Amino acid sequence: MDHKRITILLAVIWAIVALLPLFFGGTNFIMHILIMCLIWSVVASCWDLIMGFAGIFSFGQVAFFVMGSYASAIISGQFGIPPIFAVFIAGGITAAIGILVGLPCLKLKGAYIALVTFAVHMILEPVLKGDIGRAIGTGGTRGLLTIEPMTIFGYTFTTASPVPYFYLFFLVAVVCSVIILVVIKSHWGTAFLALKDSQEFAICLGVSAFKYKLMVFALTSFLTGMMGGFYAHYVGMLSTRMLGIDLFVTLMVILVIGGVGKFPGAVIGAFITIVVNELLSPLGPYRPITMGAMVVVLVLLLPDGIVGLFERLFSKNKHSITH
Amino acid sequence: MIFEIADVIISGLINGSVYALMAVGLTLIYGVSKAFNFAYGSFYSLGGYIAFLLFGLSFINNYFLVFLLAVPILLVFGYFVEKALVAPLRKRDDWEIKVMMITLGLALFLDNSFQVIFGSRMKSLPPFLEGSFEAGDFYLSHQDVGIFFLSIGGILMFRWFLNNTRTGMSVRAVAQNPAGAQIVGIPKEFVFAATFAISTVMVGMGGILLAQKYFITPMGGWDILVKAWVITAFGGMGSIRGGLYAAFIVGMLESFVGWYFGMTWTLIVLFAVLLTTLAVRPQGLMGKWG
Amino acid sequence: MIKLVDVNAYYQDFHVLKNVSLEVKKGQVVVMLGPNGHGKSTVLKSICGLVEKVTGLMEYESENITGMGSEKLVNMGITYIAENRELFPQMTVLENLKLGAYSRSARSHEKDNLEKVFDLFPRLRDRQSQSAATMSGGEARMLAIARGLMSNARFLAIDEPSLGLQPNLRDEVAKIIKQINAQGITLLVVEQNIPQITTLADKLYVLEEGRISFEGSREDALGNDHLKEIFLGM
Repeated sequence: MDHKRITILLAVIWAIVALLPLFFGGTNFIMHILIMCLIWSVVASCWDLIMGFAGIFSFGQVAFFVMGSYASAIISGQFGIPPIFAVFIAGGITAAIGILVGLPCLKLKGAYIALVTFAVHMILEPVLKGDIGRAIGTGGTRGLLTIEPMTIFGYTFTTASPVPYFYLFFLVAVVCSVIILVVIKSHWGTAFLALKDSQEFAICLGVSAFKYKLMVFALTSFLTGMMGGFYAHYVGMLSTRMLGIDLFVTLMVILVIGGVGKFPGAVIGAFITIVVNELLSPLGPYRPITMGAMVVVLVLLLPDGIVGLFERLFSKNKHSITH
Repeated sequence: MIFEIADVIISGLINGSVYALMAVGLTLIYGVSKAFNFAYGSFYSLGGYIAFLLFGLSFINNYFLVFLLAVPILLVFGYFVEKALVAPLRKRDDWEIKVMMITLGLALFLDNSFQVIFGSRMKSLPPFLEGSFEAGDFYLSHQDVGIFFLSIGGILMFRWFLNNTRTGMSVRAVAQNPAGAQIVGIPKEFVFAATFAISTVMVGMGGILLAQKYFITPMGGWDILVKAWVITAFGGMGSIRGGLYAAFIVGMLESFVGWYFGMTWTLIVLFAVLLTTLAVRPQGLMGKWG
Repeated sequence: MIKLVDVNAYYQDFHVLKNVSLEVKKGQVVVMLGPNGHGKSTVLKSICGLVEKVTGLMEYESENITGMGSEKLVNMGITYIAENRELFPQMTVLENLKLGAYSRSARSHEKDNLEKVFDLFPRLRDRQSQSAATMSGGEARMLAIARGLMSNARFLAIDEPSLGLQPNLRDEVAKIIKQINAQGITLLVVEQNIPQITTLADKLYVLEEGRISFEGSREDALGNDHLKEIFLGM
C-alpha cells in the first residue's frame, strides 16, 4: 500500500472510532472494551513496526508493556510523581531497557533475536515476583492493588465515567499511530524495506542496519512502555498474570488478522480481535482453545490479513476494469 | 556437604541428559528447515499426557509398552502437523514469522485443550524403576540412572540414524545444502516433515521421562521450550554437538544455581549466561553462520 | 532423448525463458553458449525439475516430463551438475558420492558406479574420507561431476564446468566430458571457456535474452562472424 492510502485509511478508521461513544457512551462495559481496543491497537502497531517493517523477530512486546505499567505505577506510587508524567518516565525506562536488550541481540540473526526477546518475557515474571521485584516495589506475587488514578490539570479520570477516559486513550492512540506512520513514511521506512529485501545490498548503500534497528527498537519500546503506564493507571491494579501466554497470543492474533507489515492493519485487527475475544468469553475455558484454533486457521487462510485481502480484491478489480 | 554436591551434580547430569535429547530435536528442525517451533513445549506436555492416558489402559503396565505405543503416535502427530500447518506456509513471504505464529496458535490450542481435558491439577506417572543405590548419605535412585541412560541412548540412536541410514544422510544433506539435496533427488518436503516428526518424538520422550520426576501440567511446556531454546542458541543453532555440550552445561548450571541461590534465580542466571555468550560469540558455542 | 517445445520459465515474476525449443538426441553432446545471465542455467534447471514455474512441453524419451520434480527426474536418469557445485560441505567425499546415488534407480548400481567414478577421478579415491569443504576448486569440481555420475544418469546437464578452475585444468574437463559421453551418456553442456568442448559438440545452441538465437553445427557457427567472435573466442 502506498503512503497516501495508508494515511486515508488511518484517518477513516480514527474518524469512525471517534464517533463510537455517541452510540455506546452510556454503556460502561462497552466503553471499557473500546478502551482496551485502543490500548492494544498501539501495542500491536508497535510490534508490527518491529516485525513487519523492520523485519526483527522481536517477541518482547508484552514484556515491555508490563515493564512500562509496573514502572509507571511504582514511580507515581512511591515518589509521588503525577501519573501523567510518570507514564512518560516509564516509557523512557522501557526504552532504556529496550536499548539494553537490543544492543547485544540486534546484531544476531533472526531466530536468536526471537529467542533473546522471548526469554526477556519469560524471565520477567520470576523477576517481578521474586526478591528483586519486591525490592523495587512490585508487590511480589500479590501484585499492585492500588495505583494512582490518572489526573490532568486537576481533573481525575475514573472508570466510572469512561467517555473522557476513552478520548484520552483515543488521543494517545492517534498520536502514536501518527508517529508510526511518520516512521514508515520517512527514510527509516525506506531503509527497512531495503534491509528486508537484501541486507547485503542495503549495507552497500550505506544503510547501517544496526543503527536503524536499535532506533526503532527504542522507539517502539518507549511507546509500548508508555501505553503500559496509561493502562496501569486506568485499571488501577497490576499482576504478573498479564505475562501469561494468553495476552501474548491475543496480540499475535491482532497481527494475523490485520496483516503483518500492513499498517494500519494492526489497528483494525485490534478492534476485531478484542471484540471477538469478549464475545467468546461465554465459552469459558474453551475460549483460548478457540483463539488458538483461530490463529492456526487464519494464518493458513488469510496470509496477509484483512488489509492484504482488501489489497488483493482491489488489484483484482483494477485488472478486470483494464482488461 | 560432599554428598549434597554429589546430589547437585547428579541432578544436573540427569536433567542435562534429557535437555540434550530435547534440544537436539529443536536444533534439528531449525538446522534442516529454518522453521521455528513455538509449540515444542506443548509437544513435551503432549508426550507426558499420552503416557498418562496409556497407563490408564488396562493392558498397559510397563514403560516398554508405553514407549512402543507413544513413539508412533508422536511420530504421526509431528508429521501431520508439519504437512498441514508448516509446509503450506513455506512458499509465502515472511514465512518464518508465519510459522512462529501458527505454532504459537497451536501451542495455545493444545495447552488449553490439556487444561480442559485433564484439568489443571498435576498428573504424575509411576516411576519406571524402583529402588536405589545407597551408601551412607549418598543416594541415587535407579529411576534417575534409567532416565539418564535412556536419554543418552536416544541421542546415540539418533546419531546412528543420521550417520548410517539413507534417510539420516538425506536429513544432513538438506541441512547442509538444500539446493544440493534437491539436485541429487532428495525429496525435500518429505525430509522437512520427517525431521519435524522425529523432533516431536524426541521432545515427547523427554516429556515422558521428566514427568516421572516433575509431574505433568497443561502449561508446563513453556519452561521447557525456553530451556531448549536457550540451549540451542547457547550451543549454536543447528549444531547438534553444540546443543549436546550446552545441554549439560545448562543442566549443571541450573542445578548449582538452584541449590545455592534458589530456584527463582535459575532462569535469570541462564539468561545472563546466554546473553554473555552471544555477545562474545554471536553464533553460539559451535554454530556456523548460514 | 530430450526435447523442449516452446518452453517458458519464470522466477517469481521474472520471465526468463521465452519459447525455447531444442532437442538433444541419444548419445549426443550438445553445447549451449550465450552471454551470462541470459538463461542458460535456467534451461538446464528447467529440464531437471529445479525451476518452480515452467510452461510448454518437455519430453524425455517421448515421455512428457513437464512439471515433474527433481526426485522423479533423477530417478528416471536426468541429473543436473551445478555450476556452483552445490556439494555437502561438512560431509566426506564418499558421503557426497553416496548421496549422489540417492535415487532408487541408482542404489543397486552404487558399487559399480563408485568404481567407475574412481577410475575416472583417481584423486577422489585417495581422498574418500576428506571433507568436501576442504577440497580445492578443481577437486570440488571433479567431485560435483562424480556425484552427478553416481546417479546412474543417462542424461546429464552440466552447467559451466570450467567455473573457478585454473586454465590448465580446462583441458582435463574436456577430456572427462569426452570419456563420459563415451560411456553412452547423453550430454547437454553449458560452457564457453573451453573451446575444446565445442569441438566435441554434435550441435550448438546460442541463447540470448531467453531465446534461442542460433542452432546448428560448429561449422555453421564458425561461418557466422558474430558468433565466432563472441562465443567461440576465435
